[in-house]
Amino acid sequence: MLQVKNVTKTYGKLKAVNDLSFEVNEGEIFGLLGLNGAGKTTMFRMIMGLLDQDKGDIILDGKKIDYNITDKIGFLTEERSLLTKMTVYDQVVYYGILKSMKELDIEKKLDYWLNKFSIKDYKYTKIKELSKGNQQKIQFITAIIHEPKLLILDEPFSGLDPLNVELFKKVILDFKKKGSIIIFSSHRMEHVELFCEKLVILVKGKSVIQGYLKDIKNNYQKRKIIVRASLNKEKVKKLDGVLDVELVGNEYVIDVKENKYIENIITNLVDYPNLTKLVVEEASLNEIFIAKVGAEYEK
Amino acid sequence: MKNKLMFLTKLSLNKKIKSKWFIIVNIIICVFIVGLVNIDNIIKFFGGDFNNETKFIVIDNVGVYDDLSFKYNEAKNVVDGLSNSSMNLFTNTVEEATNLVENEDNILLIINESKDNFFEIEMIVNNTIDSLLYQSLVSSINSTKENYALKQYNISDEMLSSIEKPVLIEKTRLDENKSVDETLNLVISTVFPVVILPFFMLTMFLVQMIGGEINEEKTTKSMEIIIANVSPRTHFLSKMFSSNIFVIFQGFLLFCYSMIAVAIRFFTSSSVSAINNSLSTSITDYTSGIIAQLNYSGIIDRLIYIVPLTIILMILTFVLYSLLAGILASMTTSIDDYNQVQTPVIIISVIGYYLSTLSAVFEGALFIKVLAYIPLLSAMLAPSLLIAGQITIFDVIISIVILVVVIYLLFKYGLKVYKVGILNYSSTNIWKKLFKAVKH
Repeated sequence: MLQVKNVTKTYGKLKAVNDLSFEVNEGEIFGLLGLNGAGKTTMFRMIMGLLDQDKGDIILDGKKIDYNITDKIGFLTEERSLLTKMTVYDQVVYYGILKSMKELDIEKKLDYWLNKFSIKDYKYTKIKELSKGNQQKIQFITAIIHEPKLLILDEPFSGLDPLNVELFKKVILDFKKKGSIIIFSSHRMEHVELFCEKLVILVKGKSVIQGYLKDIKNNYQKRKIIVRASLNKEKVKKLDGVLDVELVGNEYVIDVKENKYIENIITNLVDYPNLTKLVVEEASLNEIFIAKVGAEYEK
Repeated sequence: MKNKLMFLTKLSLNKKIKSKWFIIVNIIICVFIVGLVNIDNIIKFFGGDFNNETKFIVIDNVGVYDDLSFKYNEAKNVVDGLSNSSMNLFTNTVEEATNLVENEDNILLIINESKDNFFEIEMIVNNTIDSLLYQSLVSSINSTKENYALKQYNISDEMLSSIEKPVLIEKTRLDENKSVDETLNLVISTVFPVVILPFFMLTMFLVQMIGGEINEEKTTKSMEIIIANVSPRTHFLSKMFSSNIFVIFQGFLLFCYSMIAVAIRFFTSSSVSAINNSLSTSITDYTSGIIAQLNYSGIIDRLIYIVPLTIILMILTFVLYSLLAGILASMTTSIDDYNQVQTPVIIISVIGYYLSTLSAVFEGALFIKVLAYIPLLSAMLAPSLLIAGQITIFDVIISIVILVVVIYLLFKYGLKVYKVGILNYSSTNIWKKLFKAVKH
């Protein structure tokens, strides 16, 4: 289990991370979300031991993270962290040996992953000669080649096409099944929503939302009603709890302030002619993110 | 962690040595050194006006030709530049001799009697005459005149021989560590290019390499992955070990190239002699001459401690330069910044280089002696001054001790700067961050 307890990191007057706490269990995928400069990378760097926190503790399997246990951690940085003059083989062997692996073992696993990512022909190609997407695959392989207990992925899908995003997702889910602790950050909320059980949203280093995704969604009161019917837009707008009504294509999207108004609104909507669709949707993570982060920034 | 240190050192070393540029550059250096050592043979091989033999033809109306010829041949044996010249007696008419001057570039000397100066010489030339050749000829003529004059006053051959015998000067050096003045320049001119120049060159290599490598890792962000797995101390040590091993290896290669160059000179001198026998000089004679001079100055006996002390000083200075380069590289955020920051370090090295050349000129200069204790400069200055006898072994040992202390302090506090610097990608408040790191 990874435990982050009341961690604070300050740069001068700026609090990059402010009293942040969370826990991630084996086999869980945890999302660390926030705008640029929210403190995500600082948090990752503290977990990796690259930065010392001013306050708090970071504990993996009951032990403080130091060079004795960094072999258990895999780290994919947001920016490319490859020595581009090296060949794929040399680079993966380099990082593999830093994880205390044997060269033979690294080569065997490298062949497996190159095959899996359909890039086996590039084994001895210089990294600078690879496309951005293929470089990302190599970087990903260097992070997982030693089958880490804790896998930290900072923007793992950056530079990937939709097919490769799916491929990465599958691999990440395989690691989850094997019991790895996975923390990742992404600006793409649909990715987070698809496979994160738990998450924290940071604004200026402070947690504004934290917990299991389903609980966060349940607790977020706003709802949307999608209706395909001949509505009187102005009349619907006047119903209790309706924030806005918008025509999108041939459907109306009704923003509802709180869950408690839904029943009454639906009762009113069913009487309209030509009703062929009526769906109540929870707010997407993207909407929750924009609402919460926006509100915090306005403060 | 020890294995990772070895791995990082090996990887860094392989990156430097197992590259096509290392091989190409070393081939070029080898060719240059061989060419430089054999430059005279190369020039002679392709020929030129200097190759033409200068012939003196002498019309002797006094009877001093034999003596003049003897004196000139004596000078030829001593002065290299005269080897491609000859002197012959001409017994035909002046007109015929003048034709030879005109057609074959000979130099005609007509020796006539003189009432108030024993004899005088008319010289007829068709071209300019080499100054060394001219001076040697004038010296031979004057010497011949002195002999001729002494004979005119009935001085016997035995007495003449005794007069001509050089005065024996026997020198006793009270301080065996002091080089005699006349050999000092020879020592500096021989030892300097062989030892100081390669050291200076290797120092430049070292500073450039460490900076380049650390900046490459920083700019590609691979530093994050490396430092996530090995401590900054291990990383720093790996850079120092690999770079120092590299420059020592490169120094060894330079030594090997010099040996190859000397061997080539040795083996080709005979073939060049065959082409142009009178111009060639024997390298063995030359080397023996230098060794004899060095032996006379007492340096050969002192090499037993000069060489080890110099090697220790140089290796420690390499370590200090690598420490400094590593720390500076960690503080910079790009190779351009590093190139600017390393300029003062290179200037220090250049100062050491120039001061060591000046140590022979300003003998006993207190300023240079004091600088010989200063780390970074001491490796160039102390050996030069020790060879010249201007400082003692004790002074060199003090230089070494100072160097060790500075290395220790720089490693202790520099490592703190390095830890912060290598993961810092912004130049904002860099000094504040570094001072804070040193204080902790």
